[in-house]
Amino acid sequence: MKEFHIEVPVEPPKELESLFLPIPKDYVEDVYRKDEFLVLVGPQHPGSGHMRLIVRVKGDIIQEVIPDPGYVHRCVEKIAENRLYIQNIPLVERPSIMDSANFNLGYVRAIEAAMGIEVPERAKFIRTILAELCRIGTHLYDAAILAVFLGHTTGFMYPFGIRELICEALVRMTGARFTSSFIIPGGVRRDVDEKTLRWVYDATFAIEKRLKSFERIFIKNPTVIARLRDVGVLSKEEAINFGVVGPFLRASGVEYDVRIVEPYEAYEEVTWDIVTADEGDGYARFLVRVNEVSQSLSIIRQCITSMPEGSHISEQIGDIRGSFFDKFADLVLPAGEYTTLTEAARGTLVFTIVSDGESNVPYRMRIVTPGWLYLRGFMESLKGERLADLQAIYGSFGYFPPEADR
Amino acid sequence: MKVERISRSPIEEIRRHIGVIQEAFKQALIPDRITIEYPRERRRYPDNLRGFIVFDKSRCISCFRCAQICPANAIQMNYFENFYPGVDYTKCIFCHFCIESCPTGALASSALHDMAFKSLEEMKVKANQMMRLPQMIREDVQSVEYRVTKKEWKLVRSSELEDIKVLRVIPKIKPKRAFCEEPESCLGCRQCMEVCPHEAIVMERCEITLEGQVIGKGCVLKITERCVGCGLCVRQCPMKILSLREVE
Amino acid sequence: MISSLFEIFKSNMMQIPIIQPIVDYLMQIPVVNFIVALILWRPFFAVVIMPGLAALLLYLLYIVWFERKLTARVQWRVGPLEVARPIRGAIQALADGIRYFFQEAIVHREAHRPYFVQLPILAFIPILLPIAFIPAGEVVGIKSPYAVQLVVAFLALIPITIIAIGWASNSRFAFIGSIREALIYISYEIPFIIAVISMIYLYGGGDPYLAVEKQSIVPGAIMNPIAFLVFLITMLMATSRLPFEIPEADQEIAFGPFVEYSGMLFGLVMTLAYEKLYIMTLLFVILFLGGWNGIYIEALGDLNAPLWLFIKTVIVISILAIVRSMYARYRIDQTLRYSFSWLIGLSIVALVFGIIVGWVA
Repeated sequence: MKEFHIEVPVEPPKELESLFLPIPKDYVEDVYRKDEFLVLVGPQHPGSGHMRLIVRVKGDIIQEVIPDPGYVHRCVEKIAENRLYIQNIPLVERPSIMDSANFNLGYVRAIEAAMGIEVPERAKFIRTILAELCRIGTHLYDAAILAVFLGHTTGFMYPFGIRELICEALVRMTGARFTSSFIIPGGVRRDVDEKTLRWVYDATFAIEKRLKSFERIFIKNPTVIARLRDVGVLSKEEAINFGVVGPFLRASGVEYDVRIVEPYEAYEEVTWDIVTADEGDGYARFLVRVNEVSQSLSIIRQCITSMPEGSHISEQIGDIRGSFFDKFADLVLPAGEYTTLTEAARGTLVFTIVSDGESNVPYRMRIVTPGWLYLRGFMESLKGERLADLQAIYGSFGYFPPEADR
Repeated sequence: MKVERISRSPIEEIRRHIGVIQEAFKQALIPDRITIEYPRERRRYPDNLRGFIVFDKSRCISCFRCAQICPANAIQMNYFENFYPGVDYTKCIFCHFCIESCPTGALASSALHDMAFKSLEEMKVKANQMMRLPQMIREDVQSVEYRVTKKEWKLVRSSELEDIKVLRVIPKIKPKRAFCEEPESCLGCRQCMEVCPHEAIVMERCEITLEGQVIGKGCVLKITERCVGCGLCVRQCPMKILSLREVE
Repeated sequence: MISSLFEIFKSNMMQIPIIQPIVDYLMQIPVVNFIVALILWRPFFAVVIMPGLAALLLYLLYIVWFERKLTARVQWRVGPLEVARPIRGAIQALADGIRYFFQEAIVHREAHRPYFVQLPILAFIPILLPIAFIPAGEVVGIKSPYAVQLVVAFLALIPITIIAIGWASNSRFAFIGSIREALIYISYEIPFIIAVISMIYLYGGGDPYLAVEKQSIVPGAIMNPIAFLVFLITMLMATSRLPFEIPEADQEIAFGPFVEYSGMLFGLVMTLAYEKLYIMTLLFVILFLGGWNGIYIEALGDLNAPLWLFIKTVIVISILAIVRSMYARYRIDQTLRYSFSWLIGLSIVALVFGIIVGWVA
């Protein structure tokens, strides 16, 4: 249909000028002259996280989305410059609360690389179990948010119920429900006894059984498939160009997983598969995460059955009960820059610690979270989709603003 | 492992619809409910749950280690007779680094996780209020537990109430005593004497000798029997000549 | 004049044998007999008490609680429990309604104030008028041989008020919600009307008495199952229930046309969808499930038919409430596409089926 432009003086609504929006005034006027519409899916919306999305929509088709993140910026990197190295452990867990073990692991591995501390085998296996439990917890949380964005409240309640079992497993192993601060340089804080490991082993089977109910009512639900199929497609080249990471990259056909490229902890001693898909649409991204949950459950079972005997902390440090302060408070890293890559649940997590060799606080700590890395790909995949698909694609990407904003 | 493209043939769709309806009706008739009706029921947590911190004054040596390690800066040392830690529960994140740092096991953890305070000032708990578990008004008539077997996971109710205990772990650390490595480097600045909470350091007059000849008078520190090995003087000394050594 | 009214009332009173002695006693007292004759006058009883406004209020109180409890049961939860704990929270809807009275009803500056405030009340007119035409045995407000067509015509007026509500709010999301309401109105209205017409052909007329009489052996659901299915799906679309909760999508457009409402006005707009469901289910029961046919209890007399109609309606809605916990929400263009391809096709098949069966029987 041919379109004719008529030069009618249209005045954009006043609210778009008076609010603190990161869009210049001539952009707003350009939008309204082209007969398009700006929808602010703001921080106070039942279908956005803690983030504002400025959606430019023509009829029902989205032309462009400008993100406005930063509402949950808590200056984690700046605060870390004023705390001792050991006091930063609870701090770096807080950006992504359900995924705390992976963040904890990345930071502590950077310190161990700097100080040259050897971690015993048993501690590596315990750390792997914690990381995988948190990965399952995060994937369940993201599945629940996807369900509620599609209007399926049952699909929201089921994963949170199953996550309760994961939190119970974490309590039995570490003592705290999610942000456990359990991984310290040299190993873990306490040893895990046989009874707890048996319980976690049985719990993996119970989780699988409950996941079958979830599968029948949500994953194989025809309305969900209709909402997510062929929506927000990112081809392989696009995904690589825009810097997408994690399971969202694997859903576009790229086989990249940090646990295979640069293995750490006990990932080389267990056998597991990398999960990929070819289509790159919303349903593929969701299915990749669901299959990763079953892979993680199998990793946990293998770690428990083949858990080696030994100490839970390295001999260079020894048992820390009562002497935690004496061993760690005066930690000074040698001068230099130390970087680690970790596979957090949502993608590649980069930790960099810069130390000047003299102070007992980091000179600079840099975290690059996966949410920040794939934001661009997320915004690009929204172009050309309908307005109702905004929430479906948001849920399929599992964007978590506190993690992206740190 | 590659995820297959899902088929959308009409037969598959009808089968999926039937699966959804079956699941919903099964849950409506026999629900897999896991709700805990708090506060009428209370959930049994394992004993190592990180909760309220309990303090034993007789073991404390006022070493300030808990206050210095706390990542959230939640421990303030209150002074009555000596310096004892008080926890500010507006800031505490229950990481229990303080309990791990305490060399004598004066701080202990309990599994009490739901405490109620009526005002913000009450949340800054003083050391003498932390000596035992707070008063509990129990509204629960049952306790629940999540029982997990290989087949399933269910909520099991029992009428035996949960018993909240204090889990105290005495670390196997030998007691230490402060020891001056190089008395001849002592400046006599008296910082160690002033910072010691147990008044265990005194300054003594001494004579300064150089190659056997007395050239002047000065003062040097002497560590008395009152030392409990808290380590505050070790961190304070500007010449860094003090250290902690284990005693037999 | 009062005596002529009294004669009209007395000539058309309901006969309920179980309370007849009390009625006979009360009819002898001068002023009270007028009131009793008015209450038991059949049209008044049909419109105001059952299946009319009082039954509607009772149904509202019940369905809000029951839907939340059933949804909670499917979702591994308990649902509302605390309001009246001995009866497991059954008066939760009453507690919510009282809460709406205490909340401030904010009318924002950009709204078109007269329409914003009055439209939720005006919207009740096309919703509640069909109650005058729906019969239950001998108890009916206005007896008319075209009752089914009249009810369908009134139901077609309701979405206009909802679109007007969204327009009066003068807000970005209300505008999008109104457009979606208009689009879904187009998509469900035609299959709905064709399904009703197929049943009219089957029974030979739009008279509810004719429909119920013809269903004395076999209910309409078995006589024309395709029309049954089409009516069910369009009923879900018409009352904005999942999976077609598109105009009021909570997460996408922040509750659509009703986004700016608060306080008692919000309470009023919340009940619009439930009342429309009630009217549509009354029509559904009359056309497909045998209307007021049921076991005749001697002691109740005339009260039999309204009671059976009400009970069947409540049972149908209670089973329909589970659909809310099963499905996610479709998109508006998918709804339009499937409605104009599958649903119209099915409804035309139902029409042909209805014509054939109506001609044979």
